Amino acid sequence: MKSDFSELSVSAPGVEPIPADGAQPHLEDPRVVLSLLEADQVVAAKEQMRFGRQKLSRGVRILLWGLRIYVVSMMVIVLISVLRAVHLIQ
Amino acid sequence: MHRPKTDVTSAPYVTAHPTTESAAASSDAPALADLLTHEDVDRARDRWEVARARWKGRGAKKFRGVRLLWLLIGPGVLVFLGENDAPSMLSYSADGARYGIGFFIPFVVLTFVMGFVVQEMTVRLGAVTHRGHAELIFDRFGKFWGFFAMGDLVVGNFLTLVTEFIGVRAGLGFFGIRPTIAIGGALVMVAAAITTGRYWTWERITMGLAIFNGLFIPAAILARPNWHAAGHALVTWKPFPSGNHYEILLLILATIGATVTPWMLFFQQSAVVDKGMQPRDINAGRFDTLLGVLLASVFAIAAILATAPLFHHGINAADFQAAQFAEALEPLIGHTGAALFALGIFEAGIVAAIAISTSSAYAFGEVLQTGHSLNRPLRDAWPFYLVLLGSASAAAALVLIPNFPLEFVVLTVNVIAVLAMPPALAFLLLLVNDPEVMGEYVNGTWANVAGIGVTLLLIIAGLGFGLATVFPKWLGG
Repeated sequence: MKSDFSELSVSAPGVEPIPADGAQPHLEDPRVVLSLLEADQVVAAKEQMRFGRQKLSRGVRILLWGLRIYVVSMMVIVLISVLRAVHLIQ
Repeated sequence: MHRPKTDVTSAPYVTAHPTTESAAASSDAPALADLLTHEDVDRARDRWEVARARWKGRGAKKFRGVRLLWLLIGPGVLVFLGENDAPSMLSYSADGARYGIGFFIPFVVLTFVMGFVVQEMTVRLGAVTHRGHAELIFDRFGKFWGFFAMGDLVVGNFLTLVTEFIGVRAGLGFFGIRPTIAIGGALVMVAAAITTGRYWTWERITMGLAIFNGLFIPAAILARPNWHAAGHALVTWKPFPSGNHYEILLLILATIGATVTPWMLFFQQSAVVDKGMQPRDINAGRFDTLLGVLLASVFAIAAILATAPLFHHGINAADFQAAQFAEALEPLIGHTGAALFALGIFEAGIVAAIAISTSSAYAFGEVLQTGHSLNRPLRDAWPFYLVLLGSASAAAALVLIPNFPLEFVVLTVNVIAVLAMPPALAFLLLLVNDPEVMGEYVNGTWANVAGIGVTLLLIIAGLGFGLATVFPKWLGG
């Protein structure tokens, strides 16, 4: 049966495309597994290849610190409101 | 390509985990067999099904598009029905009970639109990078900022988990079920969902449970709502709530927190990765997210409509918890309606407990670089499953402590979620605008305008809450 292989990704060199009309793929064959996944989708590849650290600009650092101070201040305020509610109930 | 693809057949990988025996016996590719994990094989199986659904050749099955969507929906529906959790449904119920049909109906829709804007970015991030949110934050911003983000997530997730078990306890309490049995049963359900060792099965089981969030619809119908008033409110945003401005502001904040929270970012991105979605699936991921938004917003509005009779009968619902809502509704909408409401609260709690504990486990695994996939068997990724079940068990245990101030946790958890959201959104926006990470899938102008708009709105709402708390007389508090 003629197959259309266009929808299958083939990420490993030398791997034959897999006919999508087949009953079930032979997933015991690692080449078949690799042909179905993107290269950086394989767990071992992800463990080896990581995104490097981004150099944060001054503006970004100010933004992140500002938001951190915002969160800490707000948590203090939440604590105040909870204590106030406890006091009202008692 | 925005970054170099790794040639998985030639890279000098260390052996990760043993794969299947038959694959190891493959004569021509022993190196490949060593390379692959159980997780890879399961994910490839899912991709095979997607490829078959996309296949247009001779013998292609009918309704391919529907089948494709069926295969690719999941994370979006789960994240929004998961976020329609016990404290969220109680917030919506409080909206209806205290202010009736009016402003809060369109406001809830607006919060879900905000939710869509934010969650769509996580779909792209996950599908393009195949990395979870915590992993990307640590990789790109370093440990210092990474641990801050994780701190917010861990605290928020744990408090929210506690409220889920409060919902379970209260929902089943309506039927006279003892707290120990209700909480123990819920924990068994969380554990049962993860014993599948397969993301796909876990996702379908949890979606099957999540659809019972729709129990609020028959409860709303039994409340015989004024549909004309609901339609009018949806268009005009009126009547606007009147009374104590501080309480209104608190309810507005809780309603936002019922829809836009940090755990959702971490969960959906990790689920997209675990599902094996690829850039070509992004549109399906958007549809999935939109479907989740539509279902969750309808169910949320149903909760408002179901409890609106309390407002019309002048019943003070200021300090109501889950079971009290159901009990107060019983004389107004009947035993069936009240029972549906109580069951809905139980369902909201159990589904969210499953989703939020999974979100914590994903983040933990990503940060510590241990196995973090529901496709991994228990023996292969036991720390991941231990965090999942351990966080749920600890939260459940707190709920059973006598005299534990459960109501304060419920009251503050949604507010805390809103307050912790702006930094989480800042990380999200920075990542999704990072060309080294996203390549051609970086945010467009409108996505940035919407994302920054949501962030500013949350900051303003938080500041308003802060000012009103410190200076209560300003708002008559």
